[in-house]
Amino acid sequence: MKYDFIIIGAGVVGASVARELMKYDVTALMIERENDVCNHASLANSAIVHSGHDPVPGSLKAKLNVEGNALYEQLEKEIEIPLLRSGAFMVAQTDEEVETLMNLRDRAKENGVPEYRLLDREEALKQEPNLHPDVKMVLDLPTTKVTYPWEVTLASAENAIDNGLDFKKATEVTGIEKTNEGFKVKTNKGDVFKSRYVINAAGGFSDKIAKMVEKTPEFEITPRRGEYFVIDRHMEGFVDHVLYPTPSSKGKGVLITPQVHGELLIGPNSEFQDDPENVDNTKAGLSFVRKESMRLAHNIPFNKVIRTFTGVRASSTHKDFYISESKEAPNFIHLGGIDSPGLTAAPAIGRYVLEEIIMKKETLLENKDFNPYRKKIHQFHDMSEKEKQEAFRFDPRYGNLICKCEKVTEPDVVHHINRSVPGDTVKGIKKRSRAGAGLCQGGYCEHNVIHLIARETGKKVTEVEYYDEHSNILKGETKVKK
Amino acid sequence: MKYDLIIIGGGAAGLAALKSAYDPNLNILLVEREKTLGGILKQCIHNGFGIHKYKEELTGPEYAVRGINDVEDLDVDVVTDTTVIDVKKENGQFSVRMTNTVDGDHEREAKAVILGSGCYERTRGAIQLPGTRPAGIMPAGSAQRYLNLEGYMVGKKVFILGSGDIGLIMARRMKLEGADVKGVAEIMPYSNGLTRNIVQCLHDFDIPLYLSHTVSDIRGKSTLEGITINEVDDEFQMIEGTEKHFDVDTLLLSVGLIPDVNMFESLTFDMSRKTNGAIVDQNYQTSVEGLFACGNALHVHDLVDFVSEESEKAGAAAKEYLLKNKRKSDKTIDLEPSNNVGYVLPQKLDMSDEFDKVEVSFRVTTRGDKGVFVVHQGEQEIMTKKARFVMPAEMEKLKIKRELIDTDEPISIRFEVKE
Ligand SMILES: Cc1cc2nc3c(=O)[nH]c(=O)nc-3n(C[C@H](O)[C@H](O)[C@H](O)COP(=O)(O)OP(=O)(O)OC[C@H]3O[C@@H](n4cnc5c(N)ncnc54)[C@H](O)[C@@H]3O)c2cc1C
Ligand SMILES: Cc1cc2nc3c(=O)[nH]c(=O)nc-3n(C[C@H](O)[C@H](O)[C@H](O)COP(=O)(O)OP(=O)(O)OC[C@H]3O[C@@H](n4cnc5c(N)ncnc54)[C@H](O)[C@@H]3O)c2cc1C
Repeated sequence: MKYDFIIIGAGVVGASVARELMKYDVTALMIERENDVCNHASLANSAIVHSGHDPVPGSLKAKLNVEGNALYEQLEKEIEIPLLRSGAFMVAQTDEEVETLMNLRDRAKENGVPEYRLLDREEALKQEPNLHPDVKMVLDLPTTKVTYPWEVTLASAENAIDNGLDFKKATEVTGIEKTNEGFKVKTNKGDVFKSRYVINAAGGFSDKIAKMVEKTPEFEITPRRGEYFVIDRHMEGFVDHVLYPTPSSKGKGVLITPQVHGELLIGPNSEFQDDPENVDNTKAGLSFVRKESMRLAHNIPFNKVIRTFTGVRASSTHKDFYISESKEAPNFIHLGGIDSPGLTAAPAIGRYVLEEIIMKKETLLENKDFNPYRKKIHQFHDMSEKEKQEAFRFDPRYGNLICKCEKVTEPDVVHHINRSVPGDTVKGIKKRSRAGAGLCQGGYCEHNVIHLIARETGKKVTEVEYYDEHSNILKGETKVKK
Repeated sequence: MKYDLIIIGGGAAGLAALKSAYDPNLNILLVEREKTLGGILKQCIHNGFGIHKYKEELTGPEYAVRGINDVEDLDVDVVTDTTVIDVKKENGQFSVRMTNTVDGDHEREAKAVILGSGCYERTRGAIQLPGTRPAGIMPAGSAQRYLNLEGYMVGKKVFILGSGDIGLIMARRMKLEGADVKGVAEIMPYSNGLTRNIVQCLHDFDIPLYLSHTVSDIRGKSTLEGITINEVDDEFQMIEGTEKHFDVDTLLLSVGLIPDVNMFESLTFDMSRKTNGAIVDQNYQTSVEGLFACGNALHVHDLVDFVSEESEKAGAAAKEYLLKNKRKSDKTIDLEPSNNVGYVLPQKLDMSDEFDKVEVSFRVTTRGDKGVFVVHQGEQEIMTKKARFVMPAEMEKLKIKRELIDTDEPISIRFEVKE
């Protein structure tokens, strides 16, 4: 069969474009190299829906950031993604920083950020008592929000699939051939998919994909890593706002970000590296993050760190987002250099690709059956008492607690296993249900999850994967068979 | 349904507490989340349990069965397959929320509660290991569960980080099961496990122990392919040039245990930063009146015998609290660790209580073949006790007579090493 569109990459950008496409009467396929959606930049970032105070006025980043921020309100209603309306404080501690802060306030205005104001030291400390006492002035950005990037990507992908998108996971695009009618997209699994358009949403690999059809792409990815600490959600309330330092020539600095589930993120730093996939944690990176963060707040509870992680930004030589049809291969659309604020901008990028690129080339018919709504899985312990009783009457297995730290029940897990983007790996379940994401990091629930996946998918327990293909946790039976 | 006492957890601690708290006039409920009682002992199929209590070397399951037999005929309620998810105290009453597939999410009330919920293992995230994050890295206790309770192997080529007892036991267990166990690395200059485990689990099987070493790199994208260890200096900084590489598919972590009391979100009591458990008085009562804690849920034990002993005391104290209506007083004295001592338990002495002597458990922070424990109150040295072959891995105990306590100043314990 021949598709109208093939999207390469199922990060937040690919999934957002896919969802936007399915509003039209088209056929489309999304191909992802990893064994699930949302694994690279879209998984490991600060989760902030930025207000738009930061990008250079007039840039695509500025435009799509401010539009994206507003679209998140709609996403919350349509596909039920979580939003924490935290607001943000940008903190200035020196006269020089106060001056930069004033400039950023002007920039916020120019970029069309709907709300912003300056707070003096006293007001700032009143609202955030854990702020470092050296604070001189704060730029308050109330439209800044925090979301759960994983859920945004999953929800967008699920909604697109439910509206007709085809999806292949664990499939890597290895070559692209231009033909008279469009493209032949080849994969490591041996398939060849035909399509009229190709959309390159391959994040840190978008320049490599570009090179499959172009001699000299106009952008090159310069991967930039950022490391984080995660602090246990029992410290919820340590800060209520996203805290940014005032940016300097050295970069945007290390942030403190409250998360939708109550954890705190401390990070990121910013270091260039060659490999877009290297997410090792380094001692140097983490000590830098720790040191810098202590300039922002007092007594950060580093003794409550539950884990660390690294994300890699797909920064590029183009500086701004590179969103454009290929100059060499018509109908091939690049979404390159989507680093921060790519998460915020993603829903706006989807619209931009359709309205400013595709619809300028041809008219697409509306998909009359498009259902913009996607229901999230309402997990038992988020239910009201009345809902719990009803749910339990309907399925007594709701009484079986699988994960003690995050309070996840058996049907919660089972529902995630059986969705349109199935959570059929241990990490897939962790990402979806939070079973294993809490204090004991799966020590208690992992075996429960393995058994449920085996039962629901008909696999042997020794075939259940941690995440990637062939990453099974149980390698075989013991000498004494039970 | 209203109870006098609810005991959370049916491991060694919960069982011992139940035995001693029992009274025909008390309504008692014990709640266990697994199918069977016994707790962590069920998966400890090696021997070495019960030397103090029963003067024999039992396996974990055998020890558990004795504890279960002790309470079998008591007129109490025991529910299994039921997880406590929250504990609240309101108007002097505890309401304990629990869940199972029979009654769903439901509450039971009680006048007193004993936390005997055991501990969980520290994971990779908590110790911030460098390198990639593939499958194949797991806490040693999880591997033990898969192996001994479920019958599955987690790998064939194994390295172990941390020389805690579970790590040592698992080194031998994996070896016996045919795995190639390449070694155990310990960041401290001494092992964190019991001496007998070093001898019986490592030496007897020629498994090398790398002291003052830690994991400096982890390789493999989706599954573990190898690790590197480095020697560390006195400040735990890695020494360059001391790298040793091992090709392994499994890295087991035995890097510490933490009392498992955080899941009861509505319950706040004073916590010790040193034990990660509750601060208690000599009756194992926490800062919340009527709330007691014992076993690994209070502080991590190396010997189950001491868990049973401690928990019997906690159970007896809860019984007294209920039957004699005994209340906490403000007349307390603090007990504190001093030089070379990591923590002391109990952390408070309730002086309104009648007692002749009080038994104190503590852990040292340094090794010493010979030395002395010195107990101070204020400026005053009130007692000393000779000590031999002392190490952080083994819990120490001493008894302080009430007549020695003259003032209400804090009491501290230190360890002086004699060369
Ligand atoms: C440290 C850090 C902090 C950030 N903080 C924020 C923030 O707070 N707010 C914000 O708005 N933005 C933030 N960002 C930016 C944001 O996370 C990214 O812009 C966004 O996630 C990019 O999404 P993506 O879909 O383009 O990329 P990705 O999520 O990387 O997705 C690309 C996908 O393409 C797949 N792929 C690659 N090659 C192939 C192939 N050959 N075949 C098939 N599939 C392939 C990959 O496997 C991957 O899943 C941050 C980024 C980082 C790294
Ligand atoms: C690998 C290993 C080797 C050991 N080796 C030895 C040895 O050789 N010799 C020795 O003497 N000692 C040994 N010990 C120590 C000793 O076994 C333990 O310290 C002791 O068994 C702990 O008892 P406990 O009751 O405090 O905890 P556990 O045995 O962990 O019991 C806690 C119980 O509470 C239940 N529970 C927890 N939370 C809830 C909840 N929310 N609702 C309901 N139920 C709950 C759990 O399911 C569990 O059954 C070893 C321990 C381990 C882990």
